[in-house]
Amino acid sequence: MTEAKPIEGTAASGGPTKRSARSVFAGLEIDGRLIGMIAALIILWVLFNVLSNGLFLSPRNLWNLSVQSAAIAIMTCGMVLIIVSRNIDLSIGSILVFVALVMGLLQTEWLPNVVGLGLNHPATWVIVVIIGIALGALIGGVHGVLIAYIGIPSFIVTLGGLLIWRGAAFVLARGRTISPLDTTFQLLGGGPRGSLGDVLSWLVAGLGIMAIAYGIVASRRRRQRYGFPLRAVWADVTLGAIGTLVVAGAVWVANSYPWPPALAAAYAAEHGIPVPSGGLLIPTGIAIPVLLAIAIAVFMTFLAGRRRFGRYVYSIGGNPEAAELAGINTRLTIMKTFVAMGILAAIAAAVTSARLNAATNGLGSGVELQVIAAAVIGGTSFAGGIGTIAGGVLGAVIMQSLQSGMVLIGVDTALQDIVVGVVLVSAVGIDTILRRRATRG
Amino acid sequence: MSIRRTASIMAIAALVFAACGGGGATTAPAATTAPAATTAATAAATACKVGVAWSTFQEERYGLRDEPGIKAALAAGGGEYIGNDAKNNAETQASNVAALIAAGVNVIVINAYDPEAILPSVKAAVDAGIPVIAYDRELENANALFLTHDNVEVGRMIARDVVKAAPTGNYAIIKGDKTQTNPLFLRAGMEEIIAPLIASGDITIPAGAEVDTDGWKAEVAQTSMEQILTANNNDIQAVLSQNDNMATGAVAALKAQGLDKTVKIGAQDGDKFALNRVALGTQVVSVWKDATELGTEAGVAALQLCKDPDISKVAGATASKTTGGLDTSALLLAPIPITQANLQVVLDAKWITEAELCKDVAAGSVTGCP
Amino acid sequence: MAVSTTGATPNAAPPPRVPLVELRHMRVSFGGVHAVDDVSVDLYPGEVVGLVGGNGAGKSTLIRTLSGAHPANEGEIYIDGQKASISNPRDAKNYAIETIYQTLALADNVDAAANLFLGREITTRVGSLDDAAMESATRKVMGRLNPKFRNFKVPVSSLSGGQRQSVAIARAVHFNARILIMDEPTAALGPAETAQVRELVAQLKAEGIGIFLISHDIHDVFDLADRISVMLQGKLVGTVDKTKVTKDEVLAMIIIGKLPEEVSAKEMAELIS
Repeated sequence: MTEAKPIEGTAASGGPTKRSARSVFAGLEIDGRLIGMIAALIILWVLFNVLSNGLFLSPRNLWNLSVQSAAIAIMTCGMVLIIVSRNIDLSIGSILVFVALVMGLLQTEWLPNVVGLGLNHPATWVIVVIIGIALGALIGGVHGVLIAYIGIPSFIVTLGGLLIWRGAAFVLARGRTISPLDTTFQLLGGGPRGSLGDVLSWLVAGLGIMAIAYGIVASRRRRQRYGFPLRAVWADVTLGAIGTLVVAGAVWVANSYPWPPALAAAYAAEHGIPVPSGGLLIPTGIAIPVLLAIAIAVFMTFLAGRRRFGRYVYSIGGNPEAAELAGINTRLTIMKTFVAMGILAAIAAAVTSARLNAATNGLGSGVELQVIAAAVIGGTSFAGGIGTIAGGVLGAVIMQSLQSGMVLIGVDTALQDIVVGVVLVSAVGIDTILRRRATRG
Repeated sequence: MSIRRTASIMAIAALVFAACGGGGATTAPAATTAPAATTAATAAATACKVGVAWSTFQEERYGLRDEPGIKAALAAGGGEYIGNDAKNNAETQASNVAALIAAGVNVIVINAYDPEAILPSVKAAVDAGIPVIAYDRELENANALFLTHDNVEVGRMIARDVVKAAPTGNYAIIKGDKTQTNPLFLRAGMEEIIAPLIASGDITIPAGAEVDTDGWKAEVAQTSMEQILTANNNDIQAVLSQNDNMATGAVAALKAQGLDKTVKIGAQDGDKFALNRVALGTQVVSVWKDATELGTEAGVAALQLCKDPDISKVAGATASKTTGGLDTSALLLAPIPITQANLQVVLDAKWITEAELCKDVAAGSVTGCP
Repeated sequence: MAVSTTGATPNAAPPPRVPLVELRHMRVSFGGVHAVDDVSVDLYPGEVVGLVGGNGAGKSTLIRTLSGAHPANEGEIYIDGQKASISNPRDAKNYAIETIYQTLALADNVDAAANLFLGREITTRVGSLDDAAMESATRKVMGRLNPKFRNFKVPVSSLSGGQRQSVAIARAVHFNARILIMDEPTAALGPAETAQVRELVAQLKAEGIGIFLISHDIHDVFDLADRISVMLQGKLVGTVDKTKVTKDEVLAMIIIGKLPEEVSAKEMAELIS
């Protein structure tokens, strides 16, 4: 069970061939590893909650955690595919800072001075983001060509990239910090104003629940058409119910975090709303960077599980020679993974700099290690061929939970590093042992 | 000790002589006994090669201020400049220093990334008879001239102005990278100001509200500040940040809670965006250590050391003790706290343009801005 | 050791039709060493040609030029009498050439259907993978080849050697191959499964498919092949009609590189003893 379906992720569409009543999970066909990770995350959260006297699981902290995890989660979606195809990308932190500085300079200097579009012009942020993403794709493409077509190992190319793009970032800005940024652009970084509010958040939840229901029904229909054994109705209903609960619960938590009083008061003053005695309660809702991360995770899961591109990535990871002999254009596929990584690093650059309201030279340094750690904690194997986007995103949340949880309860930074290191090694250790047992048994 | 001293002087003489190439043949016979130093000094007037091992160009100041300052001072005094960047990496810096020694420089300026890890390299330079200037970060070596702004004073200044703006309440302290000594000096200076107020109960540092920041990174400081605010339910009145870059992160976290105009934050470096925040009123003080001045002083001191490698004889140097208790000499420059009251200082020094300083500042709200 | 001249040999009697495949004067070099040196073989529809030789004789390398896995340095390939250009596996598949590799060449981490359709996935109207359709097709073809096969939803790494082999075979036969290359197809199989493969070969042959069968097992080849091409040290010893030679004579070709009429009685005696 733990080995099952690396391709299909959690959105399992198939039915079991051997119907096993041994466990509920088997009936639900959820990846056992994913269940283990969710359990680990829950234990971690409860532990922090106890240690922080109930602060950790407060809507405010969970909301913060979601925003803090967003950039790492976005990049992990790409890193999973890179590692699955037996490559590595060490350059993402440097791509991030380079793109962030280009976007910062674009909106504060180049667009205003050259095109005459001022900071805070309504078109500024769109142009900035499009150029940023194109730049990320281009850099990723260059890395991809060197790796896939010239045949230089990805470790070397991206190690070079790590040095080159950070150096280029310095040359570009001569060490300056670019701040403040465009006010619309800043919304990409979250904050109460960069959040959806309750109505839109519930709308997103509704769409999500409908998508889950459609997915379950469509998969049932497809299997019915071919006369395959179907998943038990109770299992489908349970899956749908769990999905609905998770989506609704997450949005409920996000909406339970009201705007900070100072901001709410300022908002009330701006719009001439009278402030009630208990203070104005504006539900914050899902933050834009979190929505972005979720959308990217869903899209990348779709790419990984339901498109040829994803299937080829996994096949190359499983057996590169077999993939080549099967007639797959392995080089193009590998190159595409690096283009995707570049685009995701650029989106993360927008999120990180928007959130900080500044593009600084130190931005994103060391982030490659956090992202690789998130992917690996999420069950991605360096041996290739194994790993899921959902697992990677969970890994990112686990990493960020550890870090911000320890700051919350005031753990010394040296100890924080030790804990994160221990968790990383133990997570992979446990996974390796379970995997070995699964293949033996 | 004295033997070693003599040996190092002779070594310098030899090095300088070598640096002169064959051109200084007339002075050659004198280069064996006591007058060697003077001979070397005369020679150095024509060739003073100064090597600088920078810790990182990732921070705004080094490339924009320090390096131009030292370059200009050396150019004015006829010296030659060689620099390299350790990119925040101790091993890289060690090999960078070795490279400078191999390049035959007369003086080495070390802006240590990891002041502990670089000590063997410092010793290698000293043993080779090359005078060392510990640039802005202290080195535990009696033969290294410590050139810095008085960081303890910087800490005092940050705390003094923040305390003036927020005399009571909960304080958060965002410290720099724990592997360096500057955070300790800054923290010591802050302590001198706030300790009595903590004792009297006016100021409290809540548990967990004093944090280290890996690599002095803004985004790390932002997350820390968010967590401190969450842990204290926003009941924070002031923030002492050890530099402006981290203050950027802290202010972003405060802004997300609508607290950027009410919570008092002080920091140092005089970075442009921080000075703009001072003008806007979202930062109380940015202690300005004119990095160009520090660079200039390093250049001037290096030129003097080319003539006379005795660090205690550098103009303005005072006897001092290192943190580890070694007797050495230090050249301490006075920093200037920039608040809304004296914005004109940075404008006059052409450190920042009026447009940069006064971006988005309401007309007539502060002196210095139109 | 004497090596005979290359090229077609008089005692092989090709049927009087256009060959399905002709490999003419193929040469493959690895850093100066000729792994395949001026070898020509051909294959007719509904015919099985066995390709035999010791380890390193060059039979797999020769066949990889046809499957597109490793292009030849020199030589020409004709299919249905037309000159063909095969420089990668995709080209080969376009000529309806399918290959079952000795290594099976399966992506271990994905399931049988994904392997069967690897590189040729069935997609829906919007270009998404139609896993249900692929599973259905896989169930059909596997039902024919290995009726006991049930593990459709697990990665092929967890299948037995025989099951993996049947996935590899299914992949080759599903796409209406006209030319089938089987490299040691029974190496991983038990007796029952080997019998199944033999049955399959006979069936495919009856359907008019041409098969190159590479094997080190001379009994297998004698049972299945119509003609036998023997290679030694990168060169073709010769191609013989199965009905006109004995196993010992073929063995002599493999080991001493001489055609039956060239072998002296003494050499044959030594070989058999």
